[in-house]
Amino acid sequence: MVETDDEQLLVTHSRNGDHAAFEALIKSHQTMIHALTFRMTGSTADARDLAQETFVRAYQQLDSFHGTSKFSSWLYRIAVNACLDWRRREKRRLMLHTNWSDAQANANSPTEPANDLDDLSRDVQAALLKLPEKQRAAITLTVYGGKNHAEAAEILDCSETTISWRIFSARRKLKKILSAKNVKIKGGSND
Amino acid sequence: MTDSELDKKLNAARSPELEPDYAADFSRQVFAGIRALPVEKTAGRNSPANLWRRQIALGFSFAMFFLVAGFFIGHWHTKDEMLRVEKAVTPRHDLLADVKMINETLALFPNRVRAIVQNGHDGMQLVLADQPDVPNSPPLFVKICDGTNCSSLVTFSGQELEIAGQKITVLADGSGGIILEGRKFVWDNQSPNTLPDGLKIEAKNLTLRKL
Repeated sequence: MVETDDEQLLVTHSRNGDHAAFEALIKSHQTMIHALTFRMTGSTADARDLAQETFVRAYQQLDSFHGTSKFSSWLYRIAVNACLDWRRREKRRLMLHTNWSDAQANANSPTEPANDLDDLSRDVQAALLKLPEKQRAAITLTVYGGKNHAEAAEILDCSETTISWRIFSARRKLKKILSAKNVKIKGGSND
Repeated sequence: MTDSELDKKLNAARSPELEPDYAADFSRQVFAGIRALPVEKTAGRNSPANLWRRQIALGFSFAMFFLVAGFFIGHWHTKDEMLRVEKAVTPRHDLLADVKMINETLALFPNRVRAIVQNGHDGMQLVLADQPDVPNSPPLFVKICDGTNCSSLVTFSGQELEIAGQKITVLADGSGGIILEGRKFVWDNQSPNTLPDGLKIEAKNLTLRKL
């Protein structure tokens, strides 16, 4: 990942219409954003759409990045909001189906599985998807995004206390789900 | 399952790798998405559309400034008269009773109100942030008495304020739990403990009905 000062320079150039600068920002952050959107949705296809939407929104909102936080934190906030909006749209879409059988078919259709994942990764992802969205976001940011509680609170626009509560609740649920699933780590033992 | 066992499992779980072709082409897809947007959504800062928007925003800001200044000047000059009227209407003049005032203040300064403070009978004080960066969160009512005077205020989780001569951080967990942290004490509304210097604290979540 590029250094913060270089990032600020790239943001400034991007604001002035320098596409090469924005492309450099995309390449630096696309992996982490794809990982986040996948953790939030469980679907490779939706994750890719949301990753694209994140960067498009970021381009539109470049003027609102003031450099008071890390660019990655600002980008994560946009990505999380895109995922939460996606979730609301999906729920609304299912509710609006007038044909009951269509609604049932859609509700029961599985999310597109990520075929290149091992069993552990699939089970952990399935467990993450059972968490409420905001708990899932808190866990994803702190475990996979490398953010501390203060940074996660800033990204999710809540207090640090709220983040701590969400992570505590999420970990408790994950322990329950993964213990019941009896998930094995390669070379490790069951609980 | 222990915490470290959970951490091991979470950290061992991978997300799908991006195929090299997809990764190389991704930025092109993003720019295609940007080009598909309506023109005004991607206009540069100095485009004509944004220039006149900034002028209107500046004019609106000036108008709001004079409106608010006029409001506070009028409030100070007619404070005695208003107190007489308010006492007749609201015999117990406290923040909780002025729900309308609180709602109007929050609407007037969206995401900028750090606290609305009432010190004894001296009237209201508004504590504003320089930027509209106060997160949306449920309002909290806090009352602190230092043995001589009491201050009541409406504030929000995460705010650091000076109240009754004390620098205090207010935290809420969204489930009714409120913590006040000062230099020499930590107070929790769910298990209140002894406070120094004759300090007394009351805190609760505030419900503001939309009027």
